[in-house]
Amino acid sequence: MNIEKTQNAAELEIKVRGRLDTATAPQLEAELKESLSGIEKLILDFAELDYLSSAGLRVLLSAQKTMNKQGEMVVRGINETIAEIFEVTGFCDILTIE
Amino acid sequence: MIKIEHLRKEYPNATPLKDVCVEINKDDVITIIGPSGTGKSTLIRCLNQLDPPTSGKVWVDGECITDKNCDISKIRRKMGMVFQSFNLFNHMTIIENIMAAPVDLLKKSSQQAYDDGMELLRTVGLAEKAFNYPDELSGGQKQRVAIARTLAMEPEIVLFDEPTSALDPEMVGEVEAVIRDLAKKGLTMMIVTHDMRFAREVSNRVFYMDEGGVYEDGTPQQIFDDPQKENTKRFIKRIKIFEKLITSRDFDFIKFNNDLDEFARKNLVPKKSLYRLRTVFEELCTQIIIPELEKDFVLSFQAEYSQKEETVTAAIRYSGKEFNPMDSGNFLSVSLAENASESICHSYSGEDEFTNTVTVKVK
Ligand SMILES: Nc1ncnc2c1ncn2[C@@H]1O[C@H](COP(=O)(O)OP(=O)(O)OP(=O)(O)O)[C@@H](O)[C@H]1O
Ligand SMILES: [Mg+2]
Repeated sequence: MNIEKTQNAAELEIKVRGRLDTATAPQLEAELKESLSGIEKLILDFAELDYLSSAGLRVLLSAQKTMNKQGEMVVRGINETIAEIFEVTGFCDILTIE
Repeated sequence: MIKIEHLRKEYPNATPLKDVCVEINKDDVITIIGPSGTGKSTLIRCLNQLDPPTSGKVWVDGECITDKNCDISKIRRKMGMVFQSFNLFNHMTIIENIMAAPVDLLKKSSQQAYDDGMELLRTVGLAEKAFNYPDELSGGQKQRVAIARTLAMEPEIVLFDEPTSALDPEMVGEVEAVIRDLAKKGLTMMIVTHDMRFAREVSNRVFYMDEGGVYEDGTPQQIFDDPQKENTKRFIKRIKIFEKLITSRDFDFIKFNNDLDEFARKNLVPKKSLYRLRTVFEELCTQIIIPELEKDFVLSFQAEYSQKEETVTAAIRYSGKEFNPMDSGNFLSVSLAENASESICHSYSGEDEFTNTVTVKVK
């Protein structure tokens, strides 16, 4: 997995590439923990995300909870497979997907 | 084109070839597979007399090359060899490496050898490296040069002994592509390989070697999908099954996934099925079952892909008390695993070493 951050004032865009799974989810979690303070809009760009497991979903859930308190979070660029995962887990109702 | 009759090779403490009898036709692309130590390399070496056979005959175009009076250097010219290690001359440029033998042995003029050499470099995609030295090339590029150098001798058949096994994985493809091109052009080749996917793609015949000879000979479809003899069946089955034992919570998850990718690549498992298989493993094993097991556990994960039916099945076995992962209450993992599967069945038997078995038909 590879994470790329771009910050523009209170807007933070994070591009996640590769696999977000048991091995890599803690990395994203740590990254978010470090960077979310003062952020009002979080954009997660998943255009190059190849794989997503429940470990990754839990990180998204906790990011969503944090952002609910301080602004908004959007997920963008998801492919068909990731869309299916959001669908079957009910995450499509929790997340804002562009 | 080549006829091998009762070929036998004895070493002081091993007889890898007992009695090999096969015929190789012009334009055949033969891959040689089989367990380690079954004489694959020995066969290749005996064929071009790098290592003279103990007994038996080899005929090339009607000429008996095992005959004492045979001009062996002439025969070697007909049979090119490409080894695992590239054996290029490091003090010569790439083009000089390729020109040397045609000038010395085929008595070509330098100009002719140069022109032909450049042409060959173009076919392996390396014309721009002509004036570099071998050390300035990657492993894959060196092997492509080694192939071009062999072709420069205008052989009628080229023998390859595991041409890609010394390469980094990312360089295997470029060398395979060159060999595939040569197959298309109708060059006769024999290729020892451990890569079943490549064997299936490139060859029209597969020799499975075992018990001192060519144990089974058939098309890739026959050998890989419908082998007839016992040892072949066992060998093919072992390649088609992915199996890992996990005995610690801190097992190497990344390596596991890389091995799974490798298995999928070799067995031509479709991308989507691989994705789902990965999900089944991660959600059921990593997220649900393993955290539940006592210390000193053993978990076995097996996966098999049937090319005929295009289905992937997985079997997860583990010790300990009865535990069905689908009853775990881990909603997220259960729903992902369910979504990836046609069916998930759990069974328990107090008598077996692995008391729990979960059988999954991957979607
Ligand atoms: N020069 C040699 N001297 C003595 N024994 C040899 C020699 N070369 C090979 N052998 C033996 O002959 C047998 C076959 O070896 P060979 O290298 O042909 O196997 P292989 O099928 O190519 O195996 P691998 O898949 O591991 O390359 C082995 O038992 C090996 O130890
Ligand atoms: Mg060998």
